[in-house]
Amino acid sequence: MTSLAPQRFGRLGIFGVVLIMVGLAIIPFVTSTTGLRQASQIIISVLAVLGVNVATGYGGMISLGHGVFIGVGAFATGYYVDGLGLPWLLAIALGAATAALSGALVGLPALRIKGIHLALVTLGLAIVFQPLSKRFPKFTGGVSGKGIEARFVAPSWWPGDTRMATAVYRYLFCIVIVVLALWATWNLVNSRFGRSMRALRDNDTAAAVYGVDLISARLQTFAVSAGLAGLCGALQVLLVPFVSQEIYTPQQSLVIYATAVIGGLGTIWGSILGVIARTAVGAAGKAAAGADGFGPIGEFFDLLDEAAFVFGLGLILLTFLFPRGLAGIKRPKRTTG
Amino acid sequence: MDLVLLLQRIFDALFNSAIYSSLALALVIIFRSTGLLNFAQGEMATFTAYIAFVFLSGPQPRLTGGGLAGLVPGVPFPIPLAIIGAVICGMAGGAVTERALIRPLGRAPDLALVNITIGILLATNSLMAQWWGTGPRMFPAVFPSGAGQNFIILGARLRYSTIGVWAVLLTVLVLLVLLLRHTRTGLAFRAVSISPSSAELVGVRVGPTLMYGWALASGFGALAACLSANSVLLEPNMMLRVLVYAFAAATLGGLDSPKGALIGGLIIGLSQTLIPAYVPFIGFELSVLPALIAMVAILLVRPAGLYGTKRIERV
Repeated sequence: MTSLAPQRFGRLGIFGVVLIMVGLAIIPFVTSTTGLRQASQIIISVLAVLGVNVATGYGGMISLGHGVFIGVGAFATGYYVDGLGLPWLLAIALGAATAALSGALVGLPALRIKGIHLALVTLGLAIVFQPLSKRFPKFTGGVSGKGIEARFVAPSWWPGDTRMATAVYRYLFCIVIVVLALWATWNLVNSRFGRSMRALRDNDTAAAVYGVDLISARLQTFAVSAGLAGLCGALQVLLVPFVSQEIYTPQQSLVIYATAVIGGLGTIWGSILGVIARTAVGAAGKAAAGADGFGPIGEFFDLLDEAAFVFGLGLILLTFLFPRGLAGIKRPKRTTG
Repeated sequence: MDLVLLLQRIFDALFNSAIYSSLALALVIIFRSTGLLNFAQGEMATFTAYIAFVFLSGPQPRLTGGGLAGLVPGVPFPIPLAIIGAVICGMAGGAVTERALIRPLGRAPDLALVNITIGILLATNSLMAQWWGTGPRMFPAVFPSGAGQNFIILGARLRYSTIGVWAVLLTVLVLLVLLLRHTRTGLAFRAVSISPSSAELVGVRVGPTLMYGWALASGFGALAACLSANSVLLEPNMMLRVLVYAFAAATLGGLDSPKGALIGGLIIGLSQTLIPAYVPFIGFELSVLPALIAMVAILLVRPAGLYGTKRIERV
């Protein structure tokens, strides 16, 4: 249980922001268009993790199925931009809104189903999503997925229209959206609504006594959380104009959940740290996986390549060592109730 | 409606029913004693099916991942021995999991328990994918299940394999009931399930008792995985969907009722075969959707399920 006082930037926070900004500024100069696209994909994955964080960390509702909302956001955006011919910005906004709406629908049972049972329902949702989306080929392309005709290109004032220039434009666009979303979420969780959200998480009866409308607060929390994941899905379509149910596996949902928990629930920083940790683990794993000459133990190095394995173990270790995640390591334990 | 076809579908469904009942029993045993939904139950079970696979295929490094089977004397085993070996390994694994990962947490919040089980799920799943590959493996049939190996009842075929899995399940169930009713460990387990703190006060050692519970549950899971590996093909995600059916079965029967798990598994197995057969939109692959909807509906309307204990919460 954390204090309800607004979270402030410490010196460490400012240092972190500067470090991340420098890193983001260097990337376009040292990589190819493919590398830039991969960097953009990593950056937008912060949104999905943030979505889990809002539902689970701030709202106290465990969601193991946020991959579903990424998928809804991606499929919807693909349909709006291709099927309806809407402009990209509108399609992205509507895609996120569609995901938010689906989140509110899923939030309906969450009004009564709580804790570990809600985790069960959301896991079931993550498992059902793939076969379900195959049933709607008009939006999802069925089993094999479908390409999106429309391309997200830089406006005319952008200097250059080479592939690299377009990639840089998309990269910066993603960064701007993610920063805006982080800023908006930061304000939201420190607003009146954010306080009622956290009061609800800690003790819903007491929150209701103090005048928090439980139903609307829970539904809104779930909608915001799903909307963030949907925004991530929408930006995925912008980066790679192809949608397919194949990537929305239950494991993906669980890795997103693990990233949110490992980064630290209930702090905005946690979501960023989680994604950084996952990227670092993946990169280290790729380097170690190539190592030879360890006999049968070498197979274990190959496992490091799999973020899922490391994050599974990480989830177990962190639950014992740092229950508040990476972002909570530095913070002293507060004793507020 | 074609009655013979209906009867045939019911007979076909009974095989899956036994698998779901068995895995649901595993979930119920753990929920009853620790109040924890073990999301990793399916993956732990799949892992034991791979162990059985290693016992069966002997020391062929490419098949068994690093030639570990070479360390086991006497492989390849005949099928029954391989499955018994895998169930024993599974029970040991369950006991170790309880001792190493669950007991140290003590009275932790739901979130921590979910995190542990999800961690086990993710790690085990990618370990299996890395070690044995993601492609499906042929797993030999435990009971004769080829063409013509069946009884004909009222024109419908009842396979020997269906009778076989039910015979195994019921035998194990009888053993479980005998264990719970007529041994000290069983008595201790029943006491701990009802009230851990009271049981502790009268001198029951709660920790080891829960460890037996986890071992029993993992044994049921291992049995479910080994018996179904032939029909669903052995692959790392084999039990993921089965887990949803099992959870639906356990929820339907009441999460803390073993009898409920058995009957829930029966109902869910039947509906999994019958609903897609009569509702074209659902189809075979989406048959997991009705199970999920049933689960949500039960949790909303009657969280205690058919036979579960109604929980009264003080507000």
